[in-house]
Amino acid sequence: MDVLRLTSLLAELPTPRTSLLDNLGRIRREVGPITAELSDALADHMNIRHGEVHEVKSFYSFLEVPVDALRVCTGPVCDCFGARALLARTQEHAPPDATVLEVPCLGHCELAPVATRGDTILPFGRDEPVLHRANEGPSLGLGQADGTLADYERRGGLELLRSLPSPERILAELKASGLAGYGGAGFPTGLKWEAIAAEPEPRYVIVNADEGEPGTIKDRYVMELRPHLLLEGTLLAMRFARATEGFVYLREEYATARDRLARAIGEFRAAGLLDGLSLELVVGAGAYICGEETAMLESMEGRRGMPRLKPPYPSRFGYLGRPTLINNVETLAHIPAILRAGGERWPRGRLWSVTGAVREPGCFEAPLDVTPRRLIEEYAGGASDEIGAIVPGGAASGILPPAALDVPLTREALREWGAGPGSAGLQVFPRRYPPLRLLGETMRFFAEESCQKCTPCRIGNRALHHICAELEHGEAAMPRPQVEEWLDAMAATSICGLGQGAPIPVRNAFRLWPELFAPLGSA
Amino acid sequence: MVKFSLDGKTVSAPEGELLVYAAARHGVFIPTLCHDEKLDPYGGCRMCVVDVEGSPRPLPACATRVTAGLAVSTNSSVPQYRKTLTEMLLSEHLNANPGGRPNELLDMAEELGAAAPLILPDAKREPYEDRNRLMGYDPDACILCNRCVRYTQEVMQCSALSLEGRGPTARIVPTHGHSWLDTECELCGGCLSTCPTGAIYEKFHEGAPPQHERSLDQVKSTCTFCGVGCQIDLHVDPATKRIVKVTSDPGYVSNEGNLCVKGRFAFNFVHHPDRLTQPLVRGEDGELHPTSWDDALRVAAEGLRGVKERHGPQAIGVLASARLTMEENFLLQKLARTALETHSIHSCEAT
Ligand SMILES: Cc1cc2nc3c(=O)[nH]c(=O)nc-3n(C[C@H](O)[C@H](O)[C@H](O)COP(=O)(O)O)c2cc1C
Ligand code: SF4
Ligand code: SF4
Ligand code: SF4
Ligand code: SF4
Ligand code: FES
Repeated sequence: MDVLRLTSLLAELPTPRTSLLDNLGRIRREVGPITAELSDALADHMNIRHGEVHEVKSFYSFLEVPVDALRVCTGPVCDCFGARALLARTQEHAPPDATVLEVPCLGHCELAPVATRGDTILPFGRDEPVLHRANEGPSLGLGQADGTLADYERRGGLELLRSLPSPERILAELKASGLAGYGGAGFPTGLKWEAIAAEPEPRYVIVNADEGEPGTIKDRYVMELRPHLLLEGTLLAMRFARATEGFVYLREEYATARDRLARAIGEFRAAGLLDGLSLELVVGAGAYICGEETAMLESMEGRRGMPRLKPPYPSRFGYLGRPTLINNVETLAHIPAILRAGGERWPRGRLWSVTGAVREPGCFEAPLDVTPRRLIEEYAGGASDEIGAIVPGGAASGILPPAALDVPLTREALREWGAGPGSAGLQVFPRRYPPLRLLGETMRFFAEESCQKCTPCRIGNRALHHICAELEHGEAAMPRPQVEEWLDAMAATSICGLGQGAPIPVRNAFRLWPELFAPLGSA
Repeated sequence: MVKFSLDGKTVSAPEGELLVYAAARHGVFIPTLCHDEKLDPYGGCRMCVVDVEGSPRPLPACATRVTAGLAVSTNSSVPQYRKTLTEMLLSEHLNANPGGRPNELLDMAEELGAAAPLILPDAKREPYEDRNRLMGYDPDACILCNRCVRYTQEVMQCSALSLEGRGPTARIVPTHGHSWLDTECELCGGCLSTCPTGAIYEKFHEGAPPQHERSLDQVKSTCTFCGVGCQIDLHVDPATKRIVKVTSDPGYVSNEGNLCVKGRFAFNFVHHPDRLTQPLVRGEDGELHPTSWDDALRVAAEGLRGVKERHGPQAIGVLASARLTMEENFLLQKLARTALETHSIHSCEAT
């Protein structure tokens, strides 16, 4: 440990509790992985008890490992391309002092199998990967990247900020557009904005850029290709909510997005667009659950990212107990187009991440009722293998057989299949990748990302992972009726969406792949 | 007071009261595991969930407050959830009895007829080394209710325990997994007292039979170590009549169930062979001999009077024990100034 570096760095680190996560990240980058000694030194500097900093630093996956650790993704898409074997080989050949870490979805599924070292993306076995494959959608225009603020302005950017529509008109257009949050929960954005406006000031705005849902890469595309568009949407939200402080909570793994956003924020500031406002980047440290809005608030306040009990919702009791508007990156990025076109005329669409066994994986803007088949064939270059299963949204969206390829990916249509569009991360799995393995891996993901606060999620997901593993050798770890009781308890009594949603793919698999569960007996 | 409905009956309670208490007063017992009245509502174990009209999911009674018109039901699916949650907790409860303390999870399992359907393959938690001789902790008995950690943060302010990690490897440990002696722990045993499963226990009872504490007689007493006068319950082995452990109840006014290391753990003196149980006076032979209180006080008074007559009152100094109460200290200074006529009085509590 470089004591001198630590001493001079500590002097620079702010002491409010809300700086804890950022301070830990800086110490990790500039001094080294957070050891007990570093944790206590920071605790003393910030006048926080040692135990509380230990709790926080051990919550995240990355704070205790070096910045240059090799992180090998074993998310579902990477797993189906043999990531486990690559991980084993990498561990075997790594020099003894190197850290090799297995991580869940890195958010670069179009490059699967993929790893990162520090801020560098390393797609296994390909020298020049295609970095962005996107279409020129009518709402987001991702086909063309904006290098600078001037590029953005040339495409009609900033007009709305310069002549801000009235709050009434903004609300009316949002409601007319039918925009419903693209973070996964699908809450109507107009209603969320209306709720925040009814709460007392001061209010905060937070952009959820923690994109951690397996198979979901869309927010990264927005931030890397059109960071100014996201910022315009964010500033519209701040001006609407009369919030003077805004935050973008960004996952640590998105280094390119971090740079582009930081640069774009600098340009906005230089252009005077942030006068009287503060907009801060908060960088996570490897914890999927921090994408859940109340876990995010806890994380930003310098505590473990464990979700709060709801109600109260963040629109009433959010950051530091104040009314807070939290929206997903993509949700905010659509708002300029909605206000420009008018809610009625806005071409209703969203970004679909299409990855897995397709020839040209990427991120495409398409209508809400697009079918998997159209996404695969018309946008992603067609299937590259015989399709065995598709996952329409994220980890908790369901696992569907090829028979579902022609189902419109709307909430209503997917409900018939016991599934949902989630965060629109369409993952296409080849026939050789067994659905039971996919289900087991999904449960393992939930188990490892569970914050541990509540019993049903903490234990239920581990048990389900175990049950899937046993089923792979034809064993029944628990009789089917009892598994159903456990699923019921998870869905009903878990605190947050992670535990509540985890039973969805299991129930869905029970229904659509009944033969896999024969050893469990009948329901 | 507001009216709300509880299992179909209209009842009333102060607005804002936690549902779990309001229900109990109206005869509806809602089981809890992660709740402790000394701590802020947490709502983690989910054992106390009840159906509330208008809520898409059941809500934890330990963290839900009474409002007018609330409609609460503890029938329907709630009993099945309780049983399932108990099964879940049992499926990683590898050691139900590290030190003979009461185990509320086992009580619940017995009442609900719940058993573990499987043992999770990753149930075993990483152990750790602890050098102290008073408190033991077995991670395999812990249900991660976080009560101990919350006690350290909200009540004791020692923050010597933490909930470490995320996912299946998460566990409760003294900070950084050090021995308690190397943290800010003062060995007050408060975290032990709130642990519902006995995962934290008196180390000198390691291996005691299950639920040992419940087989002991309880004698209410007052800690004599300092003037705070904490109320304690001495747990006495009915066979040997020896004090086995000390607890305190949250309802006790002077200390609300909290103790310090002395009150909780330093009771061994009671049975120590060197403990003085009657007054002793040194005889002509230079040895100490048992005598009556009257005689002992007479000898002391004569001695003090002798010093005063031969050397004057300022030759006498009085040193008060830290164990005296304020009232006792007042009386002692009265004795010093009026009877002994000395100004030299001091308490070792002064710094
Ligand atoms: C376990 C979990 C993880 C989540 N992760 C994300 C995420 O990475 N990004 C996101 O925008 N929303 C995520 N959400 C949803 C957020 O809680 C929240 O609903 C969303 O950010 C609101 O924005 P929206 O209305 O614009 O979708 C997650 C929810 C859960 C339960
Ligand atoms: S459902 Fe899971 S992630 Fe959510 S609060 Fe409970 S344990 Fe934490
Ligand atoms: S024994 Fe007391 S001081 Fe030690 S960790 Fe427990 S509550 Fe804190
Ligand atoms: S040690 Fe006891 S009080 Fe602490 S979390 Fe475990 S079971 Fe709960
Ligand atoms: S010594 Fe400790 S336990 Fe005893 S009365 Fe004083 S504070 Fe209470
Ligand atoms: S006692 Fe209410 S959730 Fe644990």
